Amino acid sequence: MDVGEGPSDAEVVARVLSGEREAFGLLIRRYEPGLLRYATRMLGSRDAAADAVAEGLVRAYRHLASCRDPERLRTWLYRIVTNRCKSHMGRRPTGDVSLDDAPPIADPGDTEAALERAEALALVERALMTLSPEKREAFLLKHVEDMSYEEMAAATGERIPTLKMRVHRAREALLEALKEYQ
Amino acid sequence: MNPIDPTIHKVLDGEIGPEALSPAQRRDADRLGAAAALLAAAPVGASVEQRVMAAIQRPAPSAGRRLVRWALRPHAVVLRMRPVWSLALVASILLLAVLPSPEAGLQLGDEEGIAQFVGRFPGARSVHVVGSFNDWGPVSIPLEDRDHDGVWRAAVVLPEGTHEYMFVVDGERWVVDPLAGRFVADGFGRENSLLIVRSLRR
Repeated sequence: MDVGEGPSDAEVVARVLSGEREAFGLLIRRYEPGLLRYATRMLGSRDAAADAVAEGLVRAYRHLASCRDPERLRTWLYRIVTNRCKSHMGRRPTGDVSLDDAPPIADPGDTEAALERAEALALVERALMTLSPEKREAFLLKHVEDMSYEEMAAATGERIPTLKMRVHRAREALLEALKEYQ
Repeated sequence: MNPIDPTIHKVLDGEIGPEALSPAQRRDADRLGAAAALLAAAPVGASVEQRVMAAIQRPAPSAGRRLVRWALRPHAVVLRMRPVWSLALVASILLLAVLPSPEAGLQLGDEEGIAQFVGRFPGARSVHVVGSFNDWGPVSIPLEDRDHDGVWRAAVVLPEGTHEYMFVVDGERWVVDPLAGRFVADGFGRENSLLIVRSLRR
């Protein structure tokens, strides 16, 4: 990935592999926000997402030498975290609503616009959680993480026609759920 | 689930511009776009950087330790099998459970006991036991040498009491059981082996 300022992913990976362990922190800071956002939406829980991302990053560090193309580190990390999320979903029954994901209690200092935004987000989150994990994954990678179908294929291991079909079905299911809740 | 017009998918996939959409289609596309924007902009949880860096400072667990950890953790075992094979497997298990072993199948009456006949006849082709319990031979009882070690065995249910018997080797040689311990004269100048059967239920 071209990160503008700072060393490229391939350069940082080479530094980590040569023994500069602390350089891995640079990769964490670079990709953690997206990974946390994605895992939170996949699992519907911030705590479970933090576990999945932390486990995924530790695993990525330990297997960094097996990352064949460091220039595509981002999709490789998403693939690892996706697998961790699936593992967490296997442990937790679906539909388990976590309290830490309840809409935040209104703060008297919040503006009306901020409250409306929080309500709208809560509604979208609810609608998203009605989708199957495959559809949720497809919608999030395409429209929230802004990946191309090629990147999605690398991140999920699925074929592009399969992913296109899933994205289409996910849009339809999400739109229907949004109309139902609004 | 209502299908979305393919034009909306093409616009959302970036294949054509949004000007191709009707006002109603644009509303649906905008609704999905707004949902994605909300999800993308929402704050995420606290950083896990410290936790990850602390974990990678520790040495990785050895292969042996990982194996032990894996072995102690519960795992789902999924066996994919054609129904015909699963039925065959169930039938085999039932058959094994139902089929008795040769000795386990011996059914004892109240006044019966089990007699164990054992004789060492290396090189014998067959060994039978005959005695007072089967009128000396109309229905002879075969012994088996399953291990082919020359030791022939049979377990038979006999009425409680004293029985005289002999072994018949290869269908022609009558042999007294040297391990019998007790013998009785047969009235023709020779001896028969003597066996006392007691009921197990007393």
